[in-house]
Amino acid sequence: MTENGAQKPLELILARNLLTSISTPAILVDSDARLLFYNEAAGALLGRSFEESGQMTAQEWTGAFGPLGDERNPVPVEELPLTTVLREGRPGHGTYCIRSTNGEEHTIEASAFPLVGPNDEESGAMVLWWTRSGDGADGG
Amino acid sequence: MKVKVWGARGSVPAPGPEMNRYGGNTSCVQVTLASGEELILDAGTGIRTLGLGLAERPTISILLTHLHLDHIQGLMFFPPCFRSDAAITIWGPASPEASLEDRIARYISAPLSPVEVRELPCSISFSDTPATEWEIGGATIRAEAVTHRGPTLGYRITEGETSLCYIPDHEPALGAPLASLEPEWISGFDLARDADLLIHDCQYTDKEYPEHIGWGHSAVGDTIAFAKRVSARRLLLFHHDPLHTDEFLDGLHGEARVRWEGLGGDGAAVVAAMEGSELTVEGSADAGGVLLRTAGTNPGAEVSTAG
Repeated sequence: MTENGAQKPLELILARNLLTSISTPAILVDSDARLLFYNEAAGALLGRSFEESGQMTAQEWTGAFGPLGDERNPVPVEELPLTTVLREGRPGHGTYCIRSTNGEEHTIEASAFPLVGPNDEESGAMVLWWTRSGDGADGG
Repeated sequence: MKVKVWGARGSVPAPGPEMNRYGGNTSCVQVTLASGEELILDAGTGIRTLGLGLAERPTISILLTHLHLDHIQGLMFFPPCFRSDAAITIWGPASPEASLEDRIARYISAPLSPVEVRELPCSISFSDTPATEWEIGGATIRAEAVTHRGPTLGYRITEGETSLCYIPDHEPALGAPLASLEPEWISGFDLARDADLLIHDCQYTDKEYPEHIGWGHSAVGDTIAFAKRVSARRLLLFHHDPLHTDEFLDGLHGEARVRWEGLGGDGAAVVAAMEGSELTVEGSADAGGVLLRTAGTNPGAEVSTAG
């Protein structure tokens, strides 16, 4: 588990550095699905930069941005495929709807893969987003 | 805690008359604890000369940061390896690919070597560094992965109130501006925090660095910024580029001191590592200040100051 304020494991530090260097929207979470970072491209979809948002618990970020279920309500954290990725240490892929702070909704495909440290410790996961064509967002 | 530099060069040995003062041997630092126990940080070519003086010390701990050749090349020429009464423990980074012994054996084996690890007459053992702190000779050792190419560690050695941090190959500013990053996102931050002496990579000038981004090393500006962010009390510039002559390193050292002073530090706290130089490091609780005494031929390294 990575606590806010504690030194992050190197694999998370390098993952964040990678995300800052690519234009594919992407987020980084720790092993508790706490949102540690998202890059500028993801910020464009979410309507708010990471510098404005800061780190958020899983409940906070899913409540703010989704993904949204059929009734346009946030999918509970326990039901997110990302939770399965973290719990089982396997990659996952799915199509979701997320909502930006200005109310715009975007359909995205998300690929998540776990990050495992040198001592076989689950550090978290990196999630890359692809916007559906015609969505209108400037995503990857 | 006493420290002696046996090799401060990075990448490849760089002998030659224009390199005599800083030396041409690759990474190797000897740490003598108050208990008399000897720790050897890395086994670059400097370890060969070090080994010649260890005749009465059959128990040796070598802490490898990683297995690039400039950090292990001297191992095959380390005299105690060929003594049956020597007991050598080699610590290094774990890898999912192969054991530490098998990875080192790629170098100490044919066709690169005339001998195999199993043929060495000494008693030799290999240990992956643990995820938690451990003790050697009364000192607490901590190893953490840091930003470099391949599995690479930095070490923190704490003895009483005195702490030494050794990160010879490190690129903490890769893809991230050190000045604005939160500490939790800086590679090596916890390892080096408040160290009485930080021995750190300073391979490039700021002008050279853009041509070497991602190579795993630091520019002088990033070295200074990192040392300042972690509040290191003293800084030893290390892992000199093989192209950097004595004259060039004098200039780089001078620049580093000026930049450290520009950040509010004492310029005398920044020293460029020089082969043969010896330092005594004492924690502030022992001496009312941090003392770093350097004996070497580098005029800029002659310091004895309270921090």
